[in-house]
Amino acid sequence: MAAPIAAGLGRRLRELRAWVPRLMQVRWSRYNPSYMEPEVNKEFYRKPLEELSEEEKEKMELKAVRPIKAAPPSLSSSVFSDPMVSKFTNMMMKNGDKVLARSLMTQTLEAIKRKQLEKYHKAPENEKETIECNPYVIFHQALKNCQPIIGLSNITKGGKTYQVPVPLKDNRKRFLAMKWLITECRENKHRRTLMPEKLCQELLLAFNNEGPVIKRKHTLHKMAEANRAYAHFRWW
Amino acid sequence: LDHGFGLPTAAKECLSSVASQDVPTPERPRGIFHTSESDPAKHTEQHEGRHYDIPLEEVKAVFPHGLPYRFQQQIQTFNEARVMVRKPALELFSYLRSSNFAHPAVRYVIYGERGTGKTMILCHVVHYCSRQGWLVLHIPDAHLWVKNCKELLQSTYNKDRLDQPLQASAWLKNFKTSNERFLRELKTQKKYVWGKRECTEEGRPLGEVVDQGLARVRMASDAVGVVLKEIKQQSQRGSFQLLVAVDGVNALWGRTTLRKEDKSPVSPEELTLVHNLRKMVMNNWSGGAIVTTLSQTGSLFKPSSAYLPQELLGKEGFDALDPFVPIPVPNYSPREFESCYGYYLERKWLQHEQARTEDGKAELRFLSGSNPRQLDRLAGPL
Repeated sequence: MAAPIAAGLGRRLRELRAWVPRLMQVRWSRYNPSYMEPEVNKEFYRKPLEELSEEEKEKMELKAVRPIKAAPPSLSSSVFSDPMVSKFTNMMMKNGDKVLARSLMTQTLEAIKRKQLEKYHKAPENEKETIECNPYVIFHQALKNCQPIIGLSNITKGGKTYQVPVPLKDNRKRFLAMKWLITECRENKHRRTLMPEKLCQELLLAFNNEGPVIKRKHTLHKMAEANRAYAHFRWW
Repeated sequence: LDHGFGLPTAAKECLSSVASQDVPTPERPRGIFHTSESDPAKHTEQHEGRHYDIPLEEVKAVFPHGLPYRFQQQIQTFNEARVMVRKPALELFSYLRSSNFAHPAVRYVIYGERGTGKTMILCHVVHYCSRQGWLVLHIPDAHLWVKNCKELLQSTYNKDRLDQPLQASAWLKNFKTSNERFLRELKTQKKYVWGKRECTEEGRPLGEVVDQGLARVRMASDAVGVVLKEIKQQSQRGSFQLLVAVDGVNALWGRTTLRKEDKSPVSPEELTLVHNLRKMVMNNWSGGAIVTTLSQTGSLFKPSSAYLPQELLGKEGFDALDPFVPIPVPNYSPREFESCYGYYLERKWLQHEQARTEDGKAELRFLSGSNPRQLDRLAGPL
């Protein structure tokens, strides 16, 4: 990707200059296989040498000789970083505006916490333990409740396409849950409400196994159940 | 690295200072970062870094406007209003206590970087003065008067000036709730004619002028001017002390974003409200004090790194406010940071499991740089 600099020899040479992107990417997928992944977890470095297992000891020895890949910007060594939350933020992002997506996410988590804390402080003593105030717990549980168990896939056989029930991989389940939440908030709500408010409402409903996203999951399950007859079309 | 301010040592020094005082007996035991002394007059260095509680009825009476929005949200979430006692506030209290009311009013300017707690210190001072029985003239944010004004009317009193009915009536409404007692006791010194059929006679309570301003919204700015003039004249007699508390005083001498109908820019002295407020902030009256705050956050045409008085006030403002007592507000000291962190933990504001660990605390301290606003913003989603 070297850019041959035109030394002012002529307009033609200047036009022949290769296109260079404004941001020079450092981390490629075309790394040499000898490059190792960076280790960001602080706990790993605090462990004394004796506690390391065999593989970890080998890895530590390799690190002395092998080069290490550049850490991607989304990898954080913060104790508060959560991969699910980062994934969700990336899915909410539009036109690469991560700053906006992240601020919307923080506002959502804060809104959930505020609502739950208000309920908590006004509740009588015996009900206080039942109210969950941790926004991360609510977020994870809501996503788990929204994940479908079985999905449908289009299989063409004999000229006709059938909707065949198919088991889903974990990644696909997580993706579908997040996608449904975001589309539900973007499309089916009043135009003037802000995204953090809408998301907060949806997450709290999903946490209690209510709401439109859970309904969508149930309709998918029912369709899969209805199309049980075509299950043998699947060959994987 | 300063590990000496971990919880155990902070606990020991706080407990030792508590033991030397009169031991308060709360209904339920609160942490060491609280104090049950809810009268600001009795706050001393022993209370520094601790949070004191303002009863919610008092909050509604004393602060109809003036508290920052995020603090109002905290009040609603936690169902209580807790303010931290900090050194600049204690300094101001000592100055106010020892001030001579026969001399001209002293001006205090609270300045500091963004998010260090200047508005909260001003609110603390306002609470102190209202508890002491002063008449408090609290302008929550002078920047709101120089930007985003939907209605600009030509003033009937002076053809060159412009009125702002909405802002004036909003301020009058809040002023009425916070100072009902004084509005009944103080009487007008002159007859004021509002229109062909309306006038306020001499000797009527000031509350009538305020009601006139609220009823006739077009006259609201003039009503504000009348109220300010009357209060200024009468405070010199010594029957009451007057506190003029202005947040964002640098708005009075800057530029505005308002334009007249012929698209020419409006300068601040052409606005009635700003003109009258500038007269209040002069030190040509006695019988009270003027406490102001500089604010870059709402300011217009000022760089975000500016926080010193000379930078924010400009030459005109500095000359107008000179001489003043500058009161710098720094970021949280280690003790104040511990106190704030302990308060958030106790009120269950920090919900993340990692936030309770030493690592989490160190990370919060590093990321916020001990800046109160940053800490509040960071602790929000956690």
